[in-house]
Amino acid sequence: MTYDASAREDRGAVPATGSDRTFWGRLASWAPYRALVQLATATPRRQFLILAALPVLWVLTQHLGPMLQMLRVSLTDAYPVAAGTEQHFTFDNYLRFFGDRLFWMPFFRTLGFAFVFTLCTLVLTYPVAYFLARHVSPKNRMLLLLMLLIPFWVGEIVRTYAIMILLGNTGAVNLALKWLGLIDRPIPFMYTSFSMGVGIVYLTALYMLLPLYSALEKLPKSLNEAAADLGAGAWTRFRRVTLPLTIEGISSGCTLVFLISTGFYATPVLLGGPSTTVFAETIAGFFHVAGDEWPTGAAFAVIMFLAALILTTLFQKFMTGLRKGERK
Amino acid sequence: MTRGNRILLSCTYWAFVAYVFVPLVLMVLMGFKDSKFIGFPIRSYTLEWYMGIFENAEVISAFAYSVAIAVLSTLISVFVGTWIAVLLEGRKFWGRAAIFGLTVLPALIPGIISAIAFRIYARYLGIEPGMGAIVWSHAVHNVPFVVLVVMARLSTLPKSQIEAARDLGADPLIAFLRITLPYLIPAIMGASIFCLLLSFDDFVRSFFLGGYEPTLPVLIFAKLKSGMSPEINAIATAALVLTAVVGVWAERFTRRMNKES
Amino acid sequence: MTSDALVRIQNVSKQFGDTVALNDLTLDIARGEFVTFLGPSGCGKSTTLRILGGFEQPSSGRVILDGKDVTRLPPEKRQVNMVFQDYALFPHMTVKQNIAFGLELKGMSKTEIRRRQDEIMSFLELDAYGDRYPAQLSGGQRQRVALARALAPDPALLLLDEPLGALDAKLRGQVQQELKSIQRRTNKTFFFVTHDQEEALTMSDRIVVMNKGKVEQDGTPEELYFHPASRFVAEFIGETNLLTGELRGTEGGAVVMDWFGQTLRGHAPGGVPQAGTPITASVRLERLGFHIERPATANAVQGRVVGKTFLGSRMALDLLVEEAQGATLKAYVDADTGQSVGEAPVWIGWEESSMAVLRD
Repeated sequence: MTYDASAREDRGAVPATGSDRTFWGRLASWAPYRALVQLATATPRRQFLILAALPVLWVLTQHLGPMLQMLRVSLTDAYPVAAGTEQHFTFDNYLRFFGDRLFWMPFFRTLGFAFVFTLCTLVLTYPVAYFLARHVSPKNRMLLLLMLLIPFWVGEIVRTYAIMILLGNTGAVNLALKWLGLIDRPIPFMYTSFSMGVGIVYLTALYMLLPLYSALEKLPKSLNEAAADLGAGAWTRFRRVTLPLTIEGISSGCTLVFLISTGFYATPVLLGGPSTTVFAETIAGFFHVAGDEWPTGAAFAVIMFLAALILTTLFQKFMTGLRKGERK
Repeated sequence: MTRGNRILLSCTYWAFVAYVFVPLVLMVLMGFKDSKFIGFPIRSYTLEWYMGIFENAEVISAFAYSVAIAVLSTLISVFVGTWIAVLLEGRKFWGRAAIFGLTVLPALIPGIISAIAFRIYARYLGIEPGMGAIVWSHAVHNVPFVVLVVMARLSTLPKSQIEAARDLGADPLIAFLRITLPYLIPAIMGASIFCLLLSFDDFVRSFFLGGYEPTLPVLIFAKLKSGMSPEINAIATAALVLTAVVGVWAERFTRRMNKES
Repeated sequence: MTSDALVRIQNVSKQFGDTVALNDLTLDIARGEFVTFLGPSGCGKSTTLRILGGFEQPSSGRVILDGKDVTRLPPEKRQVNMVFQDYALFPHMTVKQNIAFGLELKGMSKTEIRRRQDEIMSFLELDAYGDRYPAQLSGGQRQRVALARALAPDPALLLLDEPLGALDAKLRGQVQQELKSIQRRTNKTFFFVTHDQEEALTMSDRIVVMNKGKVEQDGTPEELYFHPASRFVAEFIGETNLLTGELRGTEGGAVVMDWFGQTLRGHAPGGVPQAGTPITASVRLERLGFHIERPATANAVQGRVVGKTFLGSRMALDLLVEEAQGATLKAYVDADTGQSVGEAPVWIGWEESSMAVLRD
């Protein structure tokens, strides 16, 4: 074998030119490209700066920017500034919130609704997640889970509409109840907090189901068996073993659902009534009318965001405390 | 676990399946109703409403508008999201946690607040309400999902792969294009589909940032506000079928890709 | 050797945070040499390899390759290729594409690439696997592909990072021989890193034993085995008797020590240690000879066999030396000698050159 000899001959060989080279070969030896790469990678520091420039700029201007701009507008007396006038710094937009029942009622209603709906979603999906994670063979598990995921690919509006058809006066539920002879006249489900709840739980269930499922799936089966071995009944086992160990899943699921619930606009508009106006509708109102209402709308959005942020942070702290308490 | 409990749990699951599916099935069915009024029972059926979609210029243009927005915003999200993921999964640097926190921020802001913030910022940037504004807001909103999916995949790429490429003469860019990018394809495909669906289904941002031309969800919303009709069922069903089919296909596709590699 | 040095490592140090991975390393590697860096994990051998490959930059010092300072050069600009521990074959490329990767980036023509591909593939007996993907190959085949890919661009220096670690014991022995013969036939400079002393002894022209970021000893396998400079080297490579005693002085080239009242003569490959301190000497097990009468070797003590272990081709004897306050020695003898040694005291003799007085 004379591998060495043949290789040595080529060492000084002139690189091929033109189209006989592969694309990458041509690129790598194309002078302008080489110069550019040389320039960009001259030092590790420069290379890193080039890599980091776009992401940092993007998150600052596109992710943080809108929030900061909203905060700024919320602290001004007019936006956009009309010609010939001046913009002033003010807290009035925030004070307006406390001054009118029409403003703070929807706010507290929204938080109350979000709280109740989150709880409903949790109670509804926990057994489902439990069943999937503990009582279904791994082979069927993905299939059964996937089946639940399909409807969640469908958008907010379409699913809200589906609930409207279900709960309307001539809807499927009322029809069924009538057939069963339970009612004579349709029950007016629609445009109440009930219909809104059904709709919002319908839209958010997945965000609860997935964290719960993954928390339950991680739980070793042997733990429950050990508890049973020590004489713990089914309820005790659930309360003392399963529930504490899935607190993380519950906590993240609830946080997600709560945040999402507070942000719905179309669903309350379509499914709710005058007595269920949520804060999203209040905020939106400032953006449909004349532009000078924007600062107030922005202030209200800031209030909403801060409230949701503070509540979920407190909730997470509380849940972490609970978890640590259980472990002691 | 006793037998009774087991049966109870299984019933809960199937009840949940019913809760999730029945409204959609009813909605699809209602589109076949041979009447102008929504409501049960359905006494006679017709294909008229479904066929009507194809002749309804308003629906078709809204549909095309939504698809175009979804595609454009996805391209931006995937490009930016992948770039951010590469930065965050690379070497540690000062401020990395902060950048990560800011990266996921748009995914955590409740819908209405996100829409308002984008509306205000769009005016600040001088973007008129319309297609550009919607595409931009969807792109920003979807970036976090791309970053998370791509980062998860990137974390499993052995460091030696890139080193081997560099060792064989590839500069950082060529190493990225020829080794990292092919490795990321399954994640990028999965994230793209997810972004497409998120954008196609989005209402609140499209509603607040849209101009006169409605996206499909905005069109359905507008029609709903003026009253229910089987025509809306047909339109909604068309949207449903498209998203469900794409969603299921993507799910299978990504799982097959993951299995292969 | 210095004039023909392919690689010159000059005063290279490397710190990772507070830990010192390499401490002032200076070393030349000659053209065509098979050099092995041997040591436990964390000794700095991999850091040296990564600095040569361009994956790490030294904190201080210089690396000269082929007369050029490459200290700050990125990997893609060095005439150096590497065989990775996990092979790092590109999973989405066939064997041929993997091999072509480095050739393409050199700007070679397609015909030239094909020619080299065929050449290296037939050289490493990979012809039948050109269109397969790495996932479709066995461990040994993957290893050869990694080698082919690294050799194809004709590097001045080939780095091998424990490339046999992933192979099972049987295949490993075979591949060791193969690698050695490939190195001979290509006449390339191989820089091999391993923690396996047997592997190092089998394959290398030269072994550099590393410990805690410093070179413990640098020499041929024979030198390292029979003339270890330090206790670390003596213990890390093979089995040995360690004799602890006191330094008496030097006589000509020999070092004289006192071992529990016995005067022994040895040599000091790592330099003569300071007088007055306890010192250690190493004698390999197979260098002890057995005699009925007192032998004429430089060193001779009387001992008794207190234990025998049959090892097949040879036998291990445990010896008690009563004159030396009951110290024990271990020896390898061929099976016949082992059988014939009885209970009676025997003379144990070894030469001055068989005993290395250690640096520390």
